[in-house]
Amino acid sequence: MEVYTFDPQDANIREFRMRDQLISAMKKRFSLYGYQEIRTSAFEPYELYSNDAGTIPQVEMIKVIDRNGKVLVLRPDVTIPVTQEVAARYDSLPGHIRYFYVMDVFRQSFDGNGSKERTQAGIECFGEKSAEIDAEAIALAIQTLKDLGVRHFKIEIGHANFFKEVVQEMQLSGKELDQLKKYIQAKNMIEIGPFLENLSVEKHIADAVSTIPFLYGKPEDVLAKAKKIALNDTMREELESLMDVYGVLQAYGVEDHIVFDLGLINHMDYYSDIIFQGFIDNVAKPVLMGGRYDRLAEQFDSAIPAIGFACDVEALLEGTKEELTQPVTAADLTIIYEKTKQQEAFDIASRLREEGYRTIAVLATERTQANSPSIIQITEKENVLISGNDIRTFEQIADLKDFL
Amino acid sequence: MEKLTIALAKGRTAESTIELLNKAGIEFPDFHKKSRKLVFSNPEETLKLIFVKAVDVCTYVETGAADVGVVGKDNILESGADVYELLDLKLGICKFSVAGLQDQPPLDEAEKLTVASKYPRVAENFFRQKGIPITTIKLNGSVELAPLIGMADVIVDIVETGNTIRENGLKVMEDIDDISTRLIVNKSSFATKTASIQHIIDQLKAGLE
Repeated sequence: MEVYTFDPQDANIREFRMRDQLISAMKKRFSLYGYQEIRTSAFEPYELYSNDAGTIPQVEMIKVIDRNGKVLVLRPDVTIPVTQEVAARYDSLPGHIRYFYVMDVFRQSFDGNGSKERTQAGIECFGEKSAEIDAEAIALAIQTLKDLGVRHFKIEIGHANFFKEVVQEMQLSGKELDQLKKYIQAKNMIEIGPFLENLSVEKHIADAVSTIPFLYGKPEDVLAKAKKIALNDTMREELESLMDVYGVLQAYGVEDHIVFDLGLINHMDYYSDIIFQGFIDNVAKPVLMGGRYDRLAEQFDSAIPAIGFACDVEALLEGTKEELTQPVTAADLTIIYEKTKQQEAFDIASRLREEGYRTIAVLATERTQANSPSIIQITEKENVLISGNDIRTFEQIADLKDFL
Repeated sequence: MEKLTIALAKGRTAESTIELLNKAGIEFPDFHKKSRKLVFSNPEETLKLIFVKAVDVCTYVETGAADVGVVGKDNILESGADVYELLDLKLGICKFSVAGLQDQPPLDEAEKLTVASKYPRVAENFFRQKGIPITTIKLNGSVELAPLIGMADVIVDIVETGNTIRENGLKVMEDIDDISTRLIVNKSSFATKTASIQHIIDQLKAGLE
C-alpha cells in the first residue's frame, strides 16, 4: 500500500479551490453590506436583447433554438434580466432592493481567445438615486478588492452622459460618432484636432471635446477643469452630482483609490449617469465595471433607477493568484477495509462523517492508495489508525475519542 | 516610482526612437546598434526596454506584458488594440495609400475590387467607409507585385517616398491616413502607474521640442 497526499499541483483542484475562496470572500462582503443573492435563468428570450438596441451586439450572443422554434440566448449580461425581473414586480420602489449574484455570462468571444463564458460576481441596488447609494456601491467595490488582498488598485469614475451631452451639440453621423468615440477612448489627442477641424465644429465645442481625454486624475482637479468646458446646465449638474458622490466616498475614507476620468466611455449603452471601472496591478484590463442605469427599467414599463457593478472573476483570479497555504487533500481520513469487514467499515465511515471528517472508504486491493493525512485499516485481524507517527489499534470508533 | 516595461518595434524606427529617448534623458547604456540583445535596462533600473516585432508591440501593450509601447500608427490601426495613444513621436512619417496600375479607373467608379495588403483590416475599414465591397488578399511582402501579375486590382500599403510604387509602374490613387510613430499605453498601467507614465510622457514631450 502506498500513502501519499493529494498532488498539490493538480491544476483543476487548485484552481477551483482558489476560485472558490475568491467567490466566498466576495459573497461574504456583499452579504455584509445587506445584499442578498439571486439567480436568473441561463436561457433567455432573444427579444429581451434584440429590442435593447445597441447594448450587446447580436453577433456576440450565443443563440439556441428550442423545440417550438423559439430563439433563446445564453445570458450575455446580468443587469438586463435582473432589471426585467424587478420591473415585472414593481412599477416603482419606495425603498431600496439590494441584490448580489455570482453567475456565468456567455458571449461568442471574450478577448478573441476562444473562451465563451465568464463568471461575474456583482451587485445591483434598485431604488431612488442618491450620492449615498452611488458611493455605497463604489465603496463596496473597493472593500471587496481589499478583502481579496489587493493592495494597489484604482477606481476610475466617469459620467456616461458628459460625453453624450457634448456630442449632442455636434450633429454627427453614426460613422463620425464611432470615430470620435474611438479617439476619446484612446485619449488620442494627435488625431482629435484634425478630425474636429474637418467637421467645422464651433470652437467652444471643439475645445470641450479635445479637453475630455485630459479630464483624468485627482477629482478636484478634474472637476475644476471640467467646469470650464461645461456647455450647459445639465453638464454642470452632472459634475455637481459626481462631486457629491466623491464627498461621500471621502467619508468612507477611500479617496486614495479614486481617480476621475471623464473620457471614460462604457460600451454598455444602458448606463445613464455615474460609471466606474477598477484596475489592479498585473491585470491588463478592468477587473470590475459598473454604473448607474436609471432608464433601463423603462424598457420594461417601470420607473426604477438603479446602480450596480460586476467583477470579472477570471481577471481577479489572474491578479490575486496566491499560493494556497494548506495542502490540497481530498479527505481527512481514508478507511481501507477487507471485503468481510465492509459493513463495519461503512458504519465507522458514517460515524466519522457525522463528526465532520471528510472520509473516503475504499476496499483494500493491491493498488489501493490513500489521499489523506490519516488512514484507518480494517482487517480480519485488527483495526489500525495511522496518523503521522501515531499508530494504534482500536476495537470500535469510541476508542478513538481522544484522537478525534 | 513604479517600474515600467517599454516595448519597442524592431526595425527602421528603432534607432531614431532610441535617439529620441536619449534626448529626453532616458538612457540605455548597454544598447548598441549591432547588439542582438532584446532586453535593456536604464542605470536606475526603473525602465526595462524590450525589442519586439513591430506587429507585436500592440499585443504586448494590450495584454499588459509591456506598460508602454513605441510603434507605428500602421500597426496600431491594423491591430485595433484597446490602448491609449498618447503621443506622436513624429518619427517614421509616411502614409497609408491605395495604389494601382496606371490605367486603373478611379476608386469611386469601382463596383467591387480585389485588394492585396499587409494590412487587411485597414483596407477593409477604408473601403467599407467608401461603400465599395472588396475581397482582401493578405500578403506579407512585395505587395506591389499583386496588381502587376493580376492577382489584385489595387493594393493598400505604406508609402514613404513613393519610389517603390513608381518603380513598379504603379500610381498612388488615394491616401488613407497619415502614419507616424506613436507612444501607446496600457489602460490598466495608466491607472495603476500614473506617476511613472506621466513622467516618461513629460520627458518625451520635452525631448520632442
